[in-house]
Amino acid sequence: MNRIRIREIVRKEFIQLFRDRKNRPILFVMPFIQLLIFGYVVSTDVRDVKVGLLDQSRTRESRLVRDAFEGSPVFRITHRADDPRELEELLLRRKVDIAIKIGPDFSERIRKGETAAVQVLADGSMSNLAGVRIAYTLQVLETLNQDFIRELVPQRIDYGRIDARARTWYNPNLESRDFFVPGMVAVLIMIISLLFTSMAIIKEKEVGTMEQLIVTPMRPFELILGKTIPYILISIAQMVAVTLFAVFWFDIPMRGSAGLMFLGVCLFLISNLGIGLFVSTISATQQQAMLTTFFFIVPFFMLSGFVFPIENMPLVVQWLTYLDPLRYMLVIIRGIFLKGVDMTVLWPQYLALVILGVVVFAGAVGRFRKRLD
Amino acid sequence: MLINPRNVQAVARKEFYHIVRDYRSLYMAFALPLLLILLFGYALSLDVDNVKVVIVDQDRTELSRDFAGRLDASAYFDLVTHLPDERAAVAWLDSGKATIALVIPPRWTENIRSNREAPLQVLIDASDPNIGTISRGYITSFVERYNSRLLVDFLGRQGFDNLRPALEGRIRVWFNEDLESRNFIVPGIIAVIIMIVGAMLTSLVIAREYENGTMETIRSLPINAVEFLTGKAIPYYLIAMTDVLVALAMGQLLFGVVMKGSFWLMILASSLYLSVALGLGLFISIATKSQLVANQIALLVSYLPALLLSDFVFPVENMPRMMQIVTWIVPATYYIDILNGLFLRDVGMGYLWPSYGVLLFMFLVMAAVAVVKMRREGL
Repeated sequence: MNRIRIREIVRKEFIQLFRDRKNRPILFVMPFIQLLIFGYVVSTDVRDVKVGLLDQSRTRESRLVRDAFEGSPVFRITHRADDPRELEELLLRRKVDIAIKIGPDFSERIRKGETAAVQVLADGSMSNLAGVRIAYTLQVLETLNQDFIRELVPQRIDYGRIDARARTWYNPNLESRDFFVPGMVAVLIMIISLLFTSMAIIKEKEVGTMEQLIVTPMRPFELILGKTIPYILISIAQMVAVTLFAVFWFDIPMRGSAGLMFLGVCLFLISNLGIGLFVSTISATQQQAMLTTFFFIVPFFMLSGFVFPIENMPLVVQWLTYLDPLRYMLVIIRGIFLKGVDMTVLWPQYLALVILGVVVFAGAVGRFRKRLD
Repeated sequence: MLINPRNVQAVARKEFYHIVRDYRSLYMAFALPLLLILLFGYALSLDVDNVKVVIVDQDRTELSRDFAGRLDASAYFDLVTHLPDERAAVAWLDSGKATIALVIPPRWTENIRSNREAPLQVLIDASDPNIGTISRGYITSFVERYNSRLLVDFLGRQGFDNLRPALEGRIRVWFNEDLESRNFIVPGIIAVIIMIVGAMLTSLVIAREYENGTMETIRSLPINAVEFLTGKAIPYYLIAMTDVLVALAMGQLLFGVVMKGSFWLMILASSLYLSVALGLGLFISIATKSQLVANQIALLVSYLPALLLSDFVFPVENMPRMMQIVTWIVPATYYIDILNGLFLRDVGMGYLWPSYGVLLFMFLVMAAVAVVKMRREGL
């Protein structure tokens, strides 16, 4: 191996990358825009649930139902309907998430000691949200139920009730942002390192300059290092910039060690560059390389647990996720950011990244060298 | 500007050869959607149905056992195990083996029986906020229902027998009766597929001509911008529409995601949305003239917004006002609205025409911008 030759190819790569003025915003602005979008967008919290109300009873009791929903921090009565058709229409037009109908005999039944029904129609299109909205609706109604029962009984009631004191750990305010932004750092690194490596090598092939590189005294391994080192450096620089941005702009607490995270990213990069290299050996055009890379990025992203929880997946697919480097990186990065855990908990993730990285990189280098010879 | 169909045909045929000769691209343009649909249909779900609960019962009475038993019997929870102390429970949360840890303190039943408030400690692993929110909603709702039971018990002991609940919520779920996230994710993924094929692939096609130097040749040909762009778009239109049909069929056959609305309205909406995507991809391609740059920009303005800013997985109503306004210019927002209408709500043009109108408008703007840009480039 000749260090000067490697240095020269790295320099050539950097010159090429920065000479094209359009590359600069992509390298330095794009990741921030993506992080900004993600930071502000992702939230699966349930709040501001829009409620449509049809009150056919118009009594004190039915007003108590209305007040209970208006007083809840989760619900907001946005529409009043005058008849059932109008109420259903609200749901069909997606004006409300939940439609509540109080029948004409509502308070009559309560006063007689019978059970009065509250009809609740829930828009189930987004099932995960609908499930929570229903749970909260039931909770409001249950509290009301207890109030009404108390009224029916002529004496003071101090019954022993359970007071559930819920504490949400690791992410006390249930901030989606704290969960997604650290993960996004890993996803950005994956996209950049995978796409750029494969496309940079393929471009030489497509434009025809690969032939020239091959006739130079450069050895295949030197070429590989020369072609990947720039993207390693860029990825690391991006990781630092994006992490700082996450911490200072979005106020994401970083509870664990930055050094451990750096180590994790370096290991993560090995597998990514290996895959990038592999893609470049099986593609002839940049269009092909891009599609093939997407074939890796999309499943990696979907199966990593970034948005979709791994434990919800069927068992066979759960096994598949062990092949996904992003999976380990996410556990590391979220563990360090949210839980502040260290090597004693995270070592299996690091070990997996090392094994995966070495296997993938070695395989790709082998293929790449054969291609050059 | 006159359009000669033969010129369009010639460009389309050339692009077709290009794709067919590069059979791997073609093959992947079909395989990628298949992969997405399979992944989403089989593997990915946002639903949380069996929240794993561990209980630390320091009270050990009939009541605390009844509480745990009812929790386990509920469809929402799965009581994994009983643990001796809080430390052990925290370890289960730390390792992610349980989502909720309940600590029933000593003298819990005694408190309840002597009509005092009895605290129940609920620890929720909220590192995934989606699961955290859902779990919290479920558990507080469960406790509230248990409280109603305690109240009736209490009144029974006071001599008020046959007391019935004063009111009862009768819940009916509309549009997605089984509350399966698959039913909205599979249609939504079609919007993402169209953006990948329509905008991301086409963003490379003109940049490629520039990079390889063949743009000069094309400039010298007797064709105009409209003919050239239409010809370039046609093969991708056909690929993407095939993808849509395949996705529809797979959703229905493999996952039972049945479209309730009209098939032709679906085709019309997909065509409009796809045309917007094609215009966008071609415009990016002309403007950047570099495949790598085009690809990155296409990723940012087509794929990610279709996934994130379209009410697909992340509800728009939760976003800050600024972002909500951004979603208004994302074509996928309107397409997903139409898909929601056709797949889940079973409504027709009477409800959906505004979204169709916006997509049509977007297409006209995008096409005009792309053609003007192409002519400025000397075609």
